[in-house]
Amino acid sequence: MSEIPKSLKYSKDHEWIILEGNIATIGITKHAAESLGDIVYVDINSIDKELKQFDKFGEIESVKAVSDLYVPISGKVIETNAELESNPEFVNDDCYDKGWIIKVQIEDSNELKNLLDSTEYEKII
Amino acid sequence: MLKTIFHDKHELSNAKMVDFEGWNMPINYPSGIIKEAGFVRKNSGFFDVSHMGRIEILGEDRNDFIEKIFPINLDSLELGSAKYTLLINENNQILDDLIIYNLIDRFLIVINASNTNKDLEWIYSKIKGDVRINNMTLESGMLAIQGPEVIKKISSISNSIKNLGRYKFKNISISEKNIFVARTGYTGEDGFEIIFDNSSSDFVWDLMNKLDIPPCGLGARDLLRIEAGLHLYGHEIQEDYNPIDIGLERLLETKNKSYVSFDYINSAEIKNGEKSIAGFFVLDRGIPREGNEIFYEENIIGNITSGTYSPTLNNSIAIGIINQDFNIISNKVRIKVRDKFLEAEITKLPFYRRKKK
Repeated sequence: MSEIPKSLKYSKDHEWIILEGNIATIGITKHAAESLGDIVYVDINSIDKELKQFDKFGEIESVKAVSDLYVPISGKVIETNAELESNPEFVNDDCYDKGWIIKVQIEDSNELKNLLDSTEYEKII
Repeated sequence: MLKTIFHDKHELSNAKMVDFEGWNMPINYPSGIIKEAGFVRKNSGFFDVSHMGRIEILGEDRNDFIEKIFPINLDSLELGSAKYTLLINENNQILDDLIIYNLIDRFLIVINASNTNKDLEWIYSKIKGDVRINNMTLESGMLAIQGPEVIKKISSISNSIKNLGRYKFKNISISEKNIFVARTGYTGEDGFEIIFDNSSSDFVWDLMNKLDIPPCGLGARDLLRIEAGLHLYGHEIQEDYNPIDIGLERLLETKNKSYVSFDYINSAEIKNGEKSIAGFFVLDRGIPREGNEIFYEENIIGNITSGTYSPTLNNSIAIGIINQDFNIISNKVRIKVRDKFLEAEITKLPFYRRKKK
């Protein structure tokens, strides 16, 4: 069974999110990283853009597959993890810490109720 | 779903298992595709390829039969040697690509898992005289052991194979197990492919562990063969392709009129191919995938047949089939991948060639 930290919230599209103040840090889950296999490109084309909850914010590509990334909460993309450009394997090795993907400045933390907690996420994978 | 004799070992090794042509096979182990490809390029690794069809052709009339169904001269396939060849039917369709081994009392062919039934059906339909076919796929196992350190590692347990030449093979005995060893492979590295009775499979798996040769999955195998510019049936080779278009003219060696496709391989039709195989070094971020369209300026000139990320080159690479007029090294093309275009440069194949010692 993949690691699913209790402190995070999850989307059905396998993104995780943690909120600190009005800044959300977002990545993909261990389950998603394992399904994709070795990740070689993380491409974020939404820096400085205002996105609505569940809009596409980028693409993640492994040797075998490519997958769209969806933002689990509305807000402005204020930062991407620059390390991933040269070290995309951080997403495989440490998806909940060094492998974070974007930071979003949010509008409405109430949207978190549209997401899953760790127990609920565990049931869908 | 079919399982190889090593299926339980793969599961115990926590391999990610996938359906591959009806077989439940390991795509990678916990180390992952890129690390596994690195094991093979830098040191050694082994692949379970027991899903590939292993078919023996026996009988007094086997020599005539071989020259009838394959585009080869037996004069150039001496005893103890193997050769890469094609199976082409009388409708000029490429049924398979394969390796044929000339043993003292039989031939052995190793064919693609996806084509085993189709090949066998056609081969049976061609039998005349004393020719017998024995499908030994399910009663035997096969490993490909590949990498620059393989010869040294295997020689430490049997020094009779150190001097085995490329595409040569012999039967050896290790701890009273009879093992067929051929100096062949599909990764661009030196190494062996071995075949053995199912009853020796535990022994062979333990031997790999003892020699510190790690298991690698089909994901790494595909990546390595793309780097080495090697064709894969269903991708660079398809039934309706012209063997000359896909760069395999050298395999059509026969002058023997008894060969079923003699007229075809000597025809004007086959010599007027318009397409050719090209390698692409991708200049943007992203991996072209099979079927993607290739553009030169505003014109579609062909399609991608295989693409991957090459850890050896640290870059995305692809193989495609394009109009030969545009197949010029350094030509810039655009490859349509999903909703975007990736710029790429036509480059020489293979992408990777090992340094000969």
